[in-house]
This record gives sequence, C-alpha cells and structure tokens, in this order.
Amino acid sequence: MDRTQVVEENYANPKTCLFHVLFKGAALAFYILSALFVNNFVIIFVVTVFLSALDFWVVKNVSGRILVGLRWWNEINDLGESVWKFESLDQESLARMNKKDSWLFWWTLYLTAGAWVILGIFSLIRFQADYVLVVGVCLTLSVANIIGFTKCRKDAKKQLQQFAQQTLANQFTSSLRTAFTVV
Amino acid sequence: MSDNDTIPLHPSSQSDIDEIESLIYATPSATVLPARPPSPPRATIPISVPVSTSPTPPSPSPVPPSIPITVVPTAPVATASSTRVTIGSDGFGSPPNTLTEPVWDTVKRDLSRIVSNLKLVVFPNPNREDPGKALRDWDLWGPFFFIVFLGLTLSWSASVKKSEVFAVAFAVLAAGAVILTLNVLLLGGHIIFFQSLSLLGYCLFPLDIGALICMLKDNVILKIVVVGITLAWSSWAAYPFMSAAVNPRRKALALYPVFLMYISVGFLIIAID
Repeated sequence: MDRTQVVEENYANPKTCLFHVLFKGAALAFYILSALFVNNFVIIFVVTVFLSALDFWVVKNVSGRILVGLRWWNEINDLGESVWKFESLDQESLARMNKKDSWLFWWTLYLTAGAWVILGIFSLIRFQADYVLVVGVCLTLSVANIIGFTKCRKDAKKQLQQFAQQTLANQFTSSLRTAFTVV
Repeated sequence: MSDNDTIPLHPSSQSDIDEIESLIYATPSATVLPARPPSPPRATIPISVPVSTSPTPPSPSPVPPSIPITVVPTAPVATASSTRVTIGSDGFGSPPNTLTEPVWDTVKRDLSRIVSNLKLVVFPNPNREDPGKALRDWDLWGPFFFIVFLGLTLSWSASVKKSEVFAVAFAVLAAGAVILTLNVLLLGGHIIFFQSLSLLGYCLFPLDIGALICMLKDNVILKIVVVGITLAWSSWAAYPFMSAAVNPRRKALALYPVFLMYISVGFLIIAID
C-alpha cells in the first residue's frame, strides 16, 4: 500500500546531512579532478587539505552532534594528563535519532576513508610522493574522526549499560522491571 | 524503546515509574570529571531532534538517595552549581540551554581559542611562568594555518620549483614537529603529544612574519636581520614550554633540536630567491 510506505522517515536534518557530505565530496572531487585540470601542486594540496580540515571540523562539531548525538574531545586535566572526553545524548534523545541520518553519517565516514586509501594506493603506485602526502593528511583527518566517534559510541553504550544495571539493581518491583525491559 | 505512557500494572507502582522517569530525564549521561577551573566554554550545537518531553531540571538535579548513580548531573544554569566540573558537557545533556546556540558561535569560539593560544605562546604574558598550565586548551588549527602559510610564502618566494618547495616545507615542518615531540617524550619528558605539536606550530608564527617580510623585500641583509630576529623570537617562545617538560639535566638535549629546526627553517627563508 503506498500510504504506509510514505510514512517512512525522511532525513530529519537535511541541511546538516548536506554539509556533512559536501566537504568530503568536494575534497575528493577536487583531488581527483584537479589532476586533470590543474597543473599546480600547491593549489591542489592547499585546497584539498583545507576542504578536508573543514570537513573534519564540521563532522566533529556539527554533524556528529546533530545526526548521531555524539561528541568527543580531548582535554588536559590539572595533573597535566590528557583525557579523552566522550559525550552522548541521554537515552531518550538517542533513541529518537533519525535512522537515516545516522546511517548516512557512519557510511559516509567509512566510505570517505576507503576512498582516500584507494587514492593513496594509486599515488603510491605512481611514485608521486607529494600526492601521497596530500592523501596522507586527508586520510589522517578522516580516520581521526572515525576513531573518535566509534569510541564515543562505545562509551555511550557502556554508560547506558551501567546506568541500566544500576537502576535495575536497586529497583526490584516487577512493574519497574517491565518499564526497563525495553530500555 | 519504552513508551512512557504505559499504564502501570499496579496502582502503587505509578510513583515508582514517575521516580524512574525523573531519573531518566534528570541524569544525562555525562562522564565523571575531576574538578578543574573552567576552560573557555565549549560551544554546543542545538539538537534539532525535538526533545520537548524532557523537562529541564530546575537545579542541579537531586539524585534520589536510594540510587547511587555515579554520574554528575550537569547544571543547566551556568552559574548555579558549585560542582560544575566541566563546561564541555553542560548543555549537551540539558538541551534547552544550548538549543539556541548556532554554528557561528562554535566558529567564533574556536577562532578565539586560536587567538588566545597564540597570545599565550608567542607574546609575553604572565601565564608563561607556568608552562604546564599554558596551552591546556591545545588546538591544531593554529599550527595548521601557520605551517600552510609558511609553505605558501616560501613557495611564492621561490622562482622555480614552487611545488617542491611547498611540499618540502610542509613535510619538514610537520615531520619536524612530530619528531621533536617524540624526542621530548623519549627523553623522559612529561608533555602531551598534541600539546607539544600545538606549541611547536604556534611558535612558527614569528617565522611566518619573517618569511612574509622576506618575500616582500628581496634585500639579503634585510633578510638576514629579519630572520635572525624572528628566529630568536620563535626560540624564546618555545623555550619555557620545552624546558619545563624535561628533566633539567636534559634540557639542552630537548632544546637543541628545536633550535636546529628553526635555524634550518630560517636558512630556508633566507636562501629562497
């Protein structure tokens, strides 16, 4: 029935999704196409790396929060130690996250990293050390985001489990258990 | 996901369900963090997913005593809580506060962090006395811009082989920063990897200025003078942080490579024509 199929959710944040994909795609496209049109390596380098850096910032600060409700950063505490902080929305909001949004988020992250790896292999085969440099920088940025968000997601799940366990352990009426079985 | 409108199985359990619901909404998943002086507040992005049903806790949420939850509830009102341990996680768990903060604010915040880090590292100021505390909010944007700018300037100054000059300059500076950091770490120094990268990148700022001046005026004597001054400035900027990080007996071992790298960059600036 067509009616029921229309009800499936659309992207909840189309503009954010667009930006999420925009800079990644622009960096990759520029890098690939510039080899055909632009002779100047410096321009290729600066523009590609700048677009990649912008993409890194957008993913980390904007689309990560809006599309999947995760955030990660690094702080240095008073003792001078580096601490990685992860943050996630509470369970309510996480469950309400649009599935399409998060699917797009994760898959474009992985695909971009994969694309850079392939491009890097091409550059290696052609022995173009300077292009390997470009690809290396872009790959580092992509992988950093992947690692950060994956750790953040694991941390969020772990905290959720801890929270659920603690509340379960302290409430032992049966009606509470039914309230929590679907958490 | 549980639908919170479930009818309780037993009349008396409604209060328990209410208690649990208030727990869910009141304690966002925040990590426990040590108390520390607040760093510049981090921007938070409005979550466009409607979270209208989660009530804002009016005060630092009172956790029901029977539940020993170890998360620290973040204060929705910025100034209210005395246990406000982190600025970073506030607002994220209590959406109404940060829903109004646009992306531009994040940009401004990051830019101001770059500026403050720059002022901290390169210009004389009282915070230099405590190098460990400085650059606590490290960021790599500043170093990125400075390295690229230096590479671009050198590349523009060069009349031949511009691409190679840029690539070499970028690679040398980036690899140099990493190697210098490893050097400090291997000497048994106490420095955070990214903090040191950030520091070495910011200390390139004087050399950036020197390279810019050298690009504009092509007089050899002027170049030597300018590069000498900016080199000394860069070294002066890097000195307290690097020397504080290592054992005093190994200070020279840690500092010498830094000077060497800046001197070689200086030669690169002078020699480019």
